[in-house]
Amino acid sequence: MDEKDFALYPYISGASAHVKSLGMSLDRLVTSRAMESARIRGKERVMQAIEGELFKPSLSASDEQKILLELLSYPFSRILVSSIDDSFLTRRYCLAEAVASYKLLKTSDLDFLEEFASDFSVYPDRSDTGFKLHFTSYIRMASSLKAIEWKLVNRKLHHGNVNVSKEEFSRLLQELIKERVEHNLPMPVNEELVESCEPYLVEIQELLEERKSTFGDSEFESVETDLFPPCITHAIANTQAGVNLAHSMRFAMTAFLITIGMTVDDIMNLFTASPDFDIEKARYQIEHIAGSSGTHYKPPSCSTMQTYGNCYAPDEMCKKISHPLNYYSRKVWFRKRDAQKAAGNTVPDKSQKNDS
Amino acid sequence: MDERTRQFVVSAFQNYYSTADIKLPPDFTSREWGFIEFTSGQDTFMKRHRAFGSEGELHDYLRGIGPAHAYYSVAYYEYPGAPKMKEKNWLKADLIFDIDSDHLPGGINSYADMLEKGKRETLKLLEFLMDDFGFREEQVHAVFSGGRGYHFHISEESVLSLGSAERREIVDYVSSKGLNLEKIFSKKDISGDAGAESAKMSVFPSEDEGGWGGRINRYLISYLSSIAKDEDAVKILSGFKGIGKTTAEKLVDTFKDESRVAALKKGKMDALGGIKKDILMTIVNQGVEQMAACVDEPVTADIKRLIRLPGSLHGKSGMKVTALSIDELETFEPLNDAVVFGDKSVKIKVIKPFAVQMKGKDLMVEEGIQEVPEYAAIYLMCRGVAEYGR
Ligand code: SF4
Repeated sequence: MDEKDFALYPYISGASAHVKSLGMSLDRLVTSRAMESARIRGKERVMQAIEGELFKPSLSASDEQKILLELLSYPFSRILVSSIDDSFLTRRYCLAEAVASYKLLKTSDLDFLEEFASDFSVYPDRSDTGFKLHFTSYIRMASSLKAIEWKLVNRKLHHGNVNVSKEEFSRLLQELIKERVEHNLPMPVNEELVESCEPYLVEIQELLEERKSTFGDSEFESVETDLFPPCITHAIANTQAGVNLAHSMRFAMTAFLITIGMTVDDIMNLFTASPDFDIEKARYQIEHIAGSSGTHYKPPSCSTMQTYGNCYAPDEMCKKISHPLNYYSRKVWFRKRDAQKAAGNTVPDKSQKNDS
Repeated sequence: MDERTRQFVVSAFQNYYSTADIKLPPDFTSREWGFIEFTSGQDTFMKRHRAFGSEGELHDYLRGIGPAHAYYSVAYYEYPGAPKMKEKNWLKADLIFDIDSDHLPGGINSYADMLEKGKRETLKLLEFLMDDFGFREEQVHAVFSGGRGYHFHISEESVLSLGSAERREIVDYVSSKGLNLEKIFSKKDISGDAGAESAKMSVFPSEDEGGWGGRINRYLISYLSSIAKDEDAVKILSGFKGIGKTTAEKLVDTFKDESRVAALKKGKMDALGGIKKDILMTIVNQGVEQMAACVDEPVTADIKRLIRLPGSLHGKSGMKVTALSIDELETFEPLNDAVVFGDKSVKIKVIKPFAVQMKGKDLMVEEGIQEVPEYAAIYLMCRGVAEYGR
């Protein structure tokens, strides 16, 4: 791997060693005037991630300046993401970095992929169609992928090995890249550092807010179960107690949990507290509703819930909303406001947030 | 179990441990150990978070206590004796499979029958581990649990660092969970000689293809070929849902024709000549069900689980947790080979009538006082259906 590769895949172990060898300190990266274009590119990385796709420049070996800039922009992006310390942003940024690498990797040749993978302690053999992976490496990479065709049971496992095409291998590497980029993120940043980054942070924060408000209910930072509407809380309690739910209620509950950002595993964990829980059946149902088949189901509105007799003990908040998702998002918003009040900060105005 | 019974059983166990040759698990000083002692009351309590620095220490412990159950962790820890799980610092763990005959589908008639079914399931699992996962015979350590099931232990470096989700993928594989049968029959584009003509051909995995695809091919072909030879072939096949007489006859013809069978083995579905996919699906589904190995998923996924020590005794049967080589597994008869106690006669008071087959003898006891061989006496006392003496 050469410097160009380090710039394109800046999380590779050789890359950070290379940055160190350049005598680059965090301080210099943040404050030196000479580093400004690297910082601008660093900000751009994060902005692109929020918007959905991080673009990598095409670099040729002679572009020394460009290579250096691209390489140094990465640690700066990490500082920015850590300064904002928002779990939605962190997740989105890591994913974007990983996807951008995947797109480059799948066009690379097998030799390069092999060298790249070795940095993640993955050592594939060649096969006629691409690579042959030991099943332990394969499941290490694939077990976080939800689509059914990645399951080991659907692969041609033979004498301990799984064949994967070049593209599949790149996709699997994406998972390891995401893991690596996520590692230590957000990292601890001191106030001084955050202050020096301030000029770059404002724009990112604005874009982030905008993105969150248009995404609306589907992007909660983290799931807060005590803020669920009564109907959903009741259904969860019933499931945990081993009571069978009506099909329509089970659907509503699962679609709700998926939409607010819980993963299939999170939901399974919530339920397996019940002793007679049928894991197999439940996982199948949840995966189906989560849309492993491509369709994403939306949870039903309050009026549909009422029609099926699934509205349970509506409270004060219920009077103000017409959809269980609104119940949750309002409560989350209130809680945040209260937390900020308690911390002595000014209160964000919801209507303004939506206008921006 | 009353106090006299407890004393009798404990001393029998102590006796066993004083001469038993117990092979310890690899790196036994990094394991957490747990023991349950015999009590005369109802409460069972596990002493865990123990660690042993030497073989002698452990043997002394077993000899001294004569525990009802002895376990060690599948995990290797930096501090196995630390009182809190968090403080132990998990390093890695053996890969374990548990086949509990109690949970197998289908009816079970007797204890012996149950153990036999468990063994068959174990052999199925073994086939997956060797053919598909590529383990060698000597890497898979089979153990009869002394109770109802069998365990497999694998301590190969490559599997030790796998996490729970990854281990679950392995269980899903052997139990066919999440198997996407739709993909098994797919359409493939083929082009004619000049590349001008192109058509869709139905393809099916070939017999030597890896994974479930190859298995399904081999099952389907061997199953249908053997039925085709049967005089009542048409009748048997018509018994399947969705297979009428015409289809059954077609199937029999196909599977009697060697050249067509050879083509099918290579995955050329068109050799079936217009038999519908969903008809084959019925047979494929039956095959998947028969080939899948029924493994207890939570056991494999639990990377901190305590598992029975091979060579120790199972306190609910008095039988030996028996380590087996793969050859031994096939001929192993738990109710004979895992019995360690002798024939000298012991007086017991039976509380509940009970029947069991041990050491090749049918043993049937009625309520009341009687004399039985020691091995049976201990078995009955451990099961809680008899007390010692009168
Ligand atoms: S009003 Fe809506 S949110 Fe409230 S309990 Fe009924 S269905 Fe649920």
